[in-house]
Amino acid sequence: MQLDPLSIPYRAVERGLQAVIGIAIAGIAGAGSVGGLEGLAVFAVIVVVGIVLSVGWQVAYYRRFEYQFTEDTFDIDSGVLSRRAREIPYGRIQNVDIRQNVIQRVLGIAEVRLETAGGGETEAQLRYVSRDDAEYVQEEVSRRKRGGAGEGDAVEGVVEESETQLFELTHRELVILGVVSMDLRLLSILAIPLSFVGPSVLADFAPEGVTVVLIVAGLLALVVASAIFSGLLSMARYYGFVLLDRAEEYRYERGLFQRFSGSIPKDKVQTITLTENVIARRLGYASLTIETAGYAGSNQGNGSSSQSAIPVAERERVVSLAHRIEYFEGLEFERPPKRARERYAVRYTLVVAFLVAVAYGVVRFTELSFPWYALAAGLLLVPVAAHLKWLNRGYRLEDDHVVTRNGFWSRRITIVPSYRIQTVVTSETIFQRRRNLATLVVDTAGAYSLLGDDAKAVDVDADVADALREDLAEDLQDAIVEYRHQRDRDATVRAEHVTDG
Amino acid sequence: MQTHADEGGPDVADPTAYTTDVRTLDSRVRWLWIGRALIIGAFVGGIATAVAFGVDRSYLWAGPLVGGLVAALGVIHSILLYRTWSYEVRADSLFLDRGVITRVQTVVPYVRVQHIDTSRGPIERAVGLSTLVVYTAGSRGADVTVPGLTPPEADDLQTRLKLLAIESEGEDAV
Repeated sequence: MQLDPLSIPYRAVERGLQAVIGIAIAGIAGAGSVGGLEGLAVFAVIVVVGIVLSVGWQVAYYRRFEYQFTEDTFDIDSGVLSRRAREIPYGRIQNVDIRQNVIQRVLGIAEVRLETAGGGETEAQLRYVSRDDAEYVQEEVSRRKRGGAGEGDAVEGVVEESETQLFELTHRELVILGVVSMDLRLLSILAIPLSFVGPSVLADFAPEGVTVVLIVAGLLALVVASAIFSGLLSMARYYGFVLLDRAEEYRYERGLFQRFSGSIPKDKVQTITLTENVIARRLGYASLTIETAGYAGSNQGNGSSSQSAIPVAERERVVSLAHRIEYFEGLEFERPPKRARERYAVRYTLVVAFLVAVAYGVVRFTELSFPWYALAAGLLLVPVAAHLKWLNRGYRLEDDHVVTRNGFWSRRITIVPSYRIQTVVTSETIFQRRRNLATLVVDTAGAYSLLGDDAKAVDVDADVADALREDLAEDLQDAIVEYRHQRDRDATVRAEHVTDG
Repeated sequence: MQTHADEGGPDVADPTAYTTDVRTLDSRVRWLWIGRALIIGAFVGGIATAVAFGVDRSYLWAGPLVGGLVAALGVIHSILLYRTWSYEVRADSLFLDRGVITRVQTVVPYVRVQHIDTSRGPIERAVGLSTLVVYTAGSRGADVTVPGLTPPEADDLQTRLKLLAIESEGEDAV
């Protein structure tokens, strides 16, 4: 099969925009060396040649790009000058994503991305195929994945095309999503240009005496604007979100401007994470993400967004859906020992002390004068902050799962099936050893782990951590034995079924 | 996927045959680390001296002092690190225990081992030591490194781990 012919002009323009600068520079250089009307002609020739070359290249790319489904692998042969033949076994494919931005939607073309666990980037991209072909590829990959596992569908009595809608984002939830996902990360981007422009504008236009009020008002407006903007961004990103449960995989669709559709095979789920920030907790909402081993390096830019299973929903609903994906038993946690709170108190006290010292330094060595010691009032917050941090930590060991919870501002509950454990690590810093505490890290192959957000039981008793480490290693062995039994049983059932049929 | 239904058959070797007791590293690895600490100390000392030279020459003595301190700390750290390092090849997993300031204990189940490397850098070769690196699909793969092994030890450990990894018939967890 081939790419969509419309991908030629689209790619030419897409690449052209990048190349245009280069062509223009070459053109100007060429024109500059001749000058006058002749120069203009040279410039025009260089530009035309550039465009022709670019389109020609894309035509060649299109003609030399071929993909097909074979018995066991998805094959891609590509490359104009250096050829590349790639075979991806169906069983190794983690996710199949379809992306369409606004222009691509008008043209009816889409980008397909196949993710595998290996490597640091997307395994294969089809840029671009028609919308129908994209869906066909997505369907066919999942069908052939199932096909590889035998007549599993017939055994379970599941009709091939059956799908249940697990979740659909309502308008109300969309608004709530906007509210809870407001953050100030954009502030830094906006603040940099403003810090250059702001002062001079103020000096020129602001009447004397109003400046302070203006600065404060301006900053407030900036904060509000960036918060609202980030909220709107995630509303656009998750507009029309739908999560479907199909025989062997989860499928989701989302996006207002850029449409996005992805598949998550059920047997590739590494961990699931329930996130609820302060605002969401107040409103009784939470969100859920599913991590697979795909997206290794490709997705760090926009975090975990593309694996969101539920952008936001009422907490109970999220928990019950999480339950459906991974059958964990409950969400009551063991808290770390109370002495862990002392650590946080000490830590925050040091932070406050540092701030006071800085303020003192500013007053002492500059013209500015303000009551620097007032910052010491922050000490009043220390016990509260330490308690809240402690309150939101926890871990839970079940037969087949380990669950951890961390964070006050954005609380994350990570559910790790024992079967997915890669390594188990305990560590004790010198500060932890003073209080006989340790941190337990459960490493999986999930994408979150690569960002350093593993499941962690922080500041548990050192002996408990040691015991947990050994228990988890054993749970993994048990889980693998269990998995093999299950698989052998399935194989037997399947074999019987085949002989019956 | 092909099934391995005949587990527990007579041909399954006893995995405990490959296990070891708690082992420590070869003592020569200390010299490697001490050497590295001295080099870092000399480097920092050089920079500090250069800074002192540029800022105020009356503080020139501070440069070597800083370098010396860094080197001394590094040497102490090296000796302590050697003392804390131990590894054990267990029936189901490789267990590592090390760390001076932060003590880290790692369990690497054999079923999760993707591949095992031994590497010998030029300085390691000069001292006659090897490093063993065990890779998993997890993010902390690079953490599973056993330095300071003699080449026969490293080969031995690599073979044991390889056999145990094969024995455990790892499933794809990814």
